[in-house]
Amino acid sequence: MKAACSLCLCACLVAPALSHAAEYIHNRDPDSGLLAWKKADRGFSLELIQLLPDHVAALYSSRGLPPAVVDSIRGYCVFGSVAQNQSGGTLSYRVADWRYVTPDGRQHRLKTKPEWVAEWKKLGSDFGWSILPATMTFDIGDWAQGFTTVQLPPGSHFDLIYSWRHHGKRYTGTFENLVCAPEQSPVAP
Amino acid sequence: MRPSNRRWHLSGLLLWAVLGFAAPVRAALPLPEMSHTLTLLSPKKPARDFSLPDLDGKPHKLSDYRGKVVLVNFWATWCPPCRREMPSMERLSQRLQDQPFVILAINQQEEADQVFVFTGQLDPAPTFPILFDRDSTVSHAWGVLGLPTSFIVDKQGRVVYRAMGGREFDHPEIEQTIRALLK
Repeated sequence: MKAACSLCLCACLVAPALSHAAEYIHNRDPDSGLLAWKKADRGFSLELIQLLPDHVAALYSSRGLPPAVVDSIRGYCVFGSVAQNQSGGTLSYRVADWRYVTPDGRQHRLKTKPEWVAEWKKLGSDFGWSILPATMTFDIGDWAQGFTTVQLPPGSHFDLIYSWRHHGKRYTGTFENLVCAPEQSPVAP
Repeated sequence: MRPSNRRWHLSGLLLWAVLGFAAPVRAALPLPEMSHTLTLLSPKKPARDFSLPDLDGKPHKLSDYRGKVVLVNFWATWCPPCRREMPSMERLSQRLQDQPFVILAINQQEEADQVFVFTGQLDPAPTFPILFDRDSTVSHAWGVLGLPTSFIVDKQGRVVYRAMGGREFDHPEIEQTIRALLK
């Protein structure tokens, strides 16, 4: 099993003829069966890690948050995400500019941290720290971590178009064929 | 506690445990690198004062530490990079224990029990004050957007450096930066 899963790991360098080299990693954890993706391109690295719906609900429930807050995120496919400045200068991103693309070709906005906080405050709580910051301006060495939420059912496939700004220029990257975590762990306990 | 709630609670603890150390739920990608750079802020603005209780309920007022260099760290137990960087903060604190240097680790929206369990797992365990910002008033006033975020306040009470995301605080470059402020 582990040997088979190690084949899932691929790290690809884009052809050197291009003006930049992008690193792409796609991995399946042999123990949990969960998937992870990472792209590092022109100074910006973004990593997405599948999280099981039960684990996400557990995180919020065990904070003692109202059940309505826990229920509010159940309809979303949640990824652990890490955004990192790997450039030698200032870099910024804005989640409101990112889009996920469903198989029918339609583009959709991602729900941002301020939108989650506004919703949760109405439900009597605020656990906004768990969500990836909506906008960040990173200096050298800075990074951020948090949940990225996509309003799709477990197991859904989609592309993610994300962007960042560096040296006054806007760059775009795409994760193709991301998959929401399944309802249950893909590996039998 | 209802059985279903107990199940969620236990699962939640499991999630925090594994997220912090990257194993199965992280799907085995390498952990993000903990950097050792600090951003020099300009102009140096006066730090916003606060008074927050520690684990024993004793209040700590930032302005009472005037004349010392203060590392102000905003964190939470469930935040993986916060967990990773805290032992390096303690090692730094030990190295500078004979210097006018203080670390104030400001926990976000958690209770003493949660923090107590967490700090007991750390090696070395933190000996610096852990403060409680239960409604995040102080973190919002300081403009914190994500956890962890750290600031270094100089002896004059000005915010001089910032770091967003986890750091290896006992890295020689960070130690050197702080020692320069201590002169």
